[in-house]
Amino acid sequence: MKKKNSDQLFSQLLSNDSVGQPNKAIEDRLMYSFMLKNGSSKLRQNSFAGFFGWMFSFQGLGFKTGMISLVLFFSVINNNLSYESTKVAGCDSTFINKVLVADSAHFIQSVDSIRKDSLN
Amino acid sequence: MIFRRKNKVYTDPELMQQIVCGDQSAFGELYHRYKDRMYYYFYRMLGNSGELANDFLQELFMKLIEKPESYNPSFAFHTWFYSVANNMCKNEYRKRGVRQEYYETEKLEPQIEFLPESTIEPEQAIEKIFQALEQLGEEHRSAFLLRYREGFSIKEVAEILELPEGTVKSRLFYAKRILAEKLEYLKDEIEF
Repeated sequence: MKKKNSDQLFSQLLSNDSVGQPNKAIEDRLMYSFMLKNGSSKLRQNSFAGFFGWMFSFQGLGFKTGMISLVLFFSVINNNLSYESTKVAGCDSTFINKVLVADSAHFIQSVDSIRKDSLN
Repeated sequence: MIFRRKNKVYTDPELMQQIVCGDQSAFGELYHRYKDRMYYYFYRMLGNSGELANDFLQELFMKLIEKPESYNPSFAFHTWFYSVANNMCKNEYRKRGVRQEYYETEKLEPQIEFLPESTIEPEQAIEKIFQALEQLGEEHRSAFLLRYREGFSIKEVAEILELPEGTVKSRLFYAKRILAEKLEYLKDEIEF
């Protein structure tokens, strides 16, 4: 009788071995767990809670102060750049600086008449 | 026919990438690919207990759900997955404290009934093999199962068990020798 190779024999024996199937409930439980885990991670991705939590916490104070300073600085610079001398820049209760713009014929006539009156 | 959806067969690492992105169908696919193999592995590694095998199977896939990013795609998925399963078995053995040394095994009386060649069936032979492997300890059993049931190469078995190839070879040789001694009928049928 021809002898078999031991590897072949054991492979053949074990490949034909069957011990049944795993419990089907495991798959349901795993799928449910996967759904829960995945669901919670998606919720986190779409939530701003983390950002707001960080914004109003004491974490990264230097960074936050720097950012606010930058915003304030640029807003002031921007305001100064857009300053127009012909417009009212500001007023208070004691002084009103009105700048008149000579932009109509009627206005020019009225100014001329005032000037002539004062000369006379 | 034109509108029939084309089913692409994804590789294990591709499925893992999809699982990381939260694809449930990819997880289902991977589960169906490995559930029977892992169940068998746990069943045979943990004393032929279906209940334990089910528990360990669930725990193994739970690890995959909880930390899918722990898999490094540059390595083969099946060797990584089996190494995780094997580590779970090792931890279980540590808990039980039933790890037996080689010399201790030698002292054990053989509890296997030798059956004449004419009467033995493949199922009986398998049971006798696992009874014999039970006495050898989990190191030999895991190497034996991975090599002869799962068909892994010596190199892959060494990767899974985190051992040098020489150690795996010697464990397999020793397991086969013990089996041939304990299962007398095999002596006439096989050559080493």
